[in-house]
Amino acid sequence: MLKNWTNIFLYHIKNNKLFSALNVFGLAIGIAGLIFALLYWNDEQSYDAWNPEKEKVHQVLVQLTGMPVFSDCALFLKPILDKDANIENVVYADSWYQKDKITYKGKKEIVDKIINVEADFFTLFPFEMIQGDDVSALKDDSSAAISDVIAKRVFGDENPIGKQIICLDQMFVVRAVYHIPGNSSIAPDVVMNKMKEWTSGNMTSPFVLKLLLKVKDPSKIENTRKSLGNLYNIDFVKRNAKEEGFTYEEMASKIGHFNVAIEPLSKARLHSIADGYPEGRGNYQFLLIMVGLSVLILILSIVNYINLATANAVKRAKEVGVRKVVGASKNTIVIQFIFETALISLFSILLALVIVELTLPYYNDFLNKSLRIIGSQFYLQLILIFSITVLVAGILPAVYVANFETLKVLKGNFGRSKNGIWLRNGMLIFQFTVATFFIVGSYIVYQQIDYLTNKDLGFKGDQVIEINLDFPNSDYEVESVGQNIYNKYSTIKQELAKIKGVEQASTGLISFDGSDDSLGGVLYNDELFKARTIAVDFGMFEMMKIEVVKGRSLCQKYASDTITSVVINETAQKLMNMKEPIGKELIIKQRKLKIIGVVKDFNLLSPEVAVSGMYFYHLKTVDIAQNINKVFVKLKSDNIENTIADIEKLWVKADNEYTFKYDFVDKQYARTYESYVKQKNLFSSLNVVVILIALFGLFALASFSIQSRMKEIAIRKTLGAETNNLLKELSKQYIMYCIIGFLLAVFPVYYLLNKWLENFAFRIDVTVYPFIFGFLILLVLTLIIVLSRAYQATKTDVLKYLKYE
Amino acid sequence: MIKIKNLSRVFRTEEVETKALSEISLSIKQGDFVSIMGPSGCGKSTLLNIVGLLDSASSGSFQLLNQEMIGLKGKEKSKARKENIGFIFQNFNLIDELSVYDNIELPLIYNKVSSEERKKKVIAIADKLGISYRLKHYPQQLSGGQQQRVAVARALINDPKIILADEPTGNLDSKNGNEVMELLTDLHVNGATILMVTHSDYDASFSQKTILMKDGMILSEKMNNQNIDILISQ
Repeated sequence: MLKNWTNIFLYHIKNNKLFSALNVFGLAIGIAGLIFALLYWNDEQSYDAWNPEKEKVHQVLVQLTGMPVFSDCALFLKPILDKDANIENVVYADSWYQKDKITYKGKKEIVDKIINVEADFFTLFPFEMIQGDDVSALKDDSSAAISDVIAKRVFGDENPIGKQIICLDQMFVVRAVYHIPGNSSIAPDVVMNKMKEWTSGNMTSPFVLKLLLKVKDPSKIENTRKSLGNLYNIDFVKRNAKEEGFTYEEMASKIGHFNVAIEPLSKARLHSIADGYPEGRGNYQFLLIMVGLSVLILILSIVNYINLATANAVKRAKEVGVRKVVGASKNTIVIQFIFETALISLFSILLALVIVELTLPYYNDFLNKSLRIIGSQFYLQLILIFSITVLVAGILPAVYVANFETLKVLKGNFGRSKNGIWLRNGMLIFQFTVATFFIVGSYIVYQQIDYLTNKDLGFKGDQVIEINLDFPNSDYEVESVGQNIYNKYSTIKQELAKIKGVEQASTGLISFDGSDDSLGGVLYNDELFKARTIAVDFGMFEMMKIEVVKGRSLCQKYASDTITSVVINETAQKLMNMKEPIGKELIIKQRKLKIIGVVKDFNLLSPEVAVSGMYFYHLKTVDIAQNINKVFVKLKSDNIENTIADIEKLWVKADNEYTFKYDFVDKQYARTYESYVKQKNLFSSLNVVVILIALFGLFALASFSIQSRMKEIAIRKTLGAETNNLLKELSKQYIMYCIIGFLLAVFPVYYLLNKWLENFAFRIDVTVYPFIFGFLILLVLTLIIVLSRAYQATKTDVLKYLKYE
Repeated sequence: MIKIKNLSRVFRTEEVETKALSEISLSIKQGDFVSIMGPSGCGKSTLLNIVGLLDSASSGSFQLLNQEMIGLKGKEKSKARKENIGFIFQNFNLIDELSVYDNIELPLIYNKVSSEERKKKVIAIADKLGISYRLKHYPQQLSGGQQQRVAVARALINDPKIILADEPTGNLDSKNGNEVMELLTDLHVNGATILMVTHSDYDASFSQKTILMKDGMILSEKMNNQNIDILISQ
């Protein structure tokens, strides 16, 4: 039986080479899309999945009214957590990685992910211990645990245990080597326990260190949350009120309300409200878009398959009739056709794997990941996809074929059968809908990204580079650190000024890469405003072409500008409701400052976020110069490469431990909305795929449907119809489907794209234009395909269809 | 009206060359009712198709209304066809998706007759053929005889110069077949020119002249005066 089935299957493949190939290819593209989405999905879902404590480990997040969510918590929470019977372990930790070099026997290795945690860290993140054990690994502040990767790099085949390394200017003894079993929200290269100096200090700030809890019963976590909330909103506010001489109510309204959230580790990657862990969050929205779109494409290609198979079935009608006459039951017919679908799906899946394998590097590049086709989970999913495809794509056509009436079929009076036509047309309309969705959608996405790219940012960073300043630790171990660092920076600035291609150099505690969204407090008329307070050096505004709209900018000429002057932005002026801001007094960091100027708003965070209030003062105004860690340099437009090479020489001379690292400010800023540019590119490339699949479907369906109308065409021709009449007659219905499909898509596109646009503070409005554009494209493509098929049909010999079918 | 001289039609496949018609000569005058008979594969349908401008000859001459048809282009053929020829087929060849009314109307649309005129003509012919009450039905809802009446109505709606009938009773039982033949006879009596292909001696007896074909050639031509006399005398 199988042999017979295979023979006839191969016969049809041979005789319908084009359609078979398109069919396999269409399905393969659909499946490949889903495989891509699955790889991404699996990778994101696998974060912390290996961790047996994932439901018990929690992070504490705090949000103060009007501020972003902080992943750092106060130290004063500890006593009450120690008393909480539901809490098993409390671990304070860094919420970020430090980067430094490990020195072992004079050999240096740069390590990107060093984390400072308390001793119980490994009970919360039980990495696999290869050497040593998790108890002694962090027993004191000179112990460190290193990952197997780093162990290999630093020690090679030597046994690392007990060896001394230098890291962060301090001696450590390697106590353990661990292996991280899978994706983890904390995946450090080196773990050390130097928390004592922080936790034993007297820091009363509400946001100091990351707080991790391991709880006994996750369902009772709400009690803990409440008591932490009280510590912030009652105890902390009361203490402050007492110190500052306010009543509790006054202080509470000044500070605002603290919202405490406690999230399990299992939610950290995709469902967290903040980037609490050093590895950050995954982009859940993007992940959903990816999976959604790829499922849509697979459905589209399955729909294509069903359409083609049912249309093609007319050609198989006689075979089915004969099989039934000689004894086949309905079931055997169904199984035979499902068998064929299975073979086609198998080819498609193999082809899909080839496509994925070939394009995976680009995809990884696109996602900044290193996904690979491995894992039993993935292959199980692949089998699942295969089964679902075979069932969904196979059953409908198979049942359709099996239900042919034997006699009708054998007599040959079948070609014009109405069976399944509504289904095919319905699916065609669905394809038009999806195609409209993609064409209009990608047009709107394109418009929005274009709008962002060309938007006036308020600053110009195209000839400005940011260079990292990594002063050695010894520079921070002197009496007046700020002054020392400021002097060092000034020296570099002077050196830079001597380089021919350098127009100007300046600095500021400011970053254009969207990484810094911290807010500080500003008092105006006893009212507290939360805003960006930014220390800058002279010349920063001029260099970045930030426009001063009122008053003047900070200037070296005035001695007061390093003591009492502040420049605000338009938003700050608006927020504080000042008509005439110049000369008004503000209190920032306990200093009285006078407003001397207002600058035009400019973006520092990605363009999806509205500009916040900003206050600029000179670095010397507040003792903050020790935080200088970069210098901005404006280059003359000619010979930029030479200039950069000259600057690099300066770096090599001054500091030979760190590499010269620079970046153009405009490129830095562009990265803040990189993920949306990626979404645009993804959408555009999927757009091409979807349109191709839909057009192929239309092509096939139009061919078959016109084929089944050949008799009608022949009759009309006999009665004197001319080519024009026939073309009109034949394409009429497809135009209708095209219009219906388009109309069905209008609302979903409008709704979903508006939802997507809500991500942006600066966004375009959805106009009617993309819809007109989408409709015209769809219509033109439909007409091209249908008319070409119809024209061919009108040219065929009518005699063949008049008598017999 | 129709003059055919030395007309041949050769079908070629990769290996075989078949002469469906070889050197046929024939003429049909205005008002003639001619039937063609012969065994399967004798070439009678091919001849009819060539006369109907659905097929083209390999060689020879075919004049319709004194105009040479061999070598005409598709568009001209289509024009000559829709103006002069009405078809009746064995399997009716109605469009299932269209109602009886729409089916009959079709040739008028292609001849660019105004819709008002069309309506009048369709109603008139339906009335004449006794299918008025069926105008809103679809072909599949009708009996074979009724379907063939619709096909006849469609063939006549344009007042064609010649009616070509390809085994018009082939798919009908004898009662319905008789009705259709009587219909054709009526048309003939009223002056229509008819060329009919048939298998049935009985059907052929309704015509004035029977042409017998075999292997692509005309074997004999026979006049059927008697029958017509009988009919006329009725």
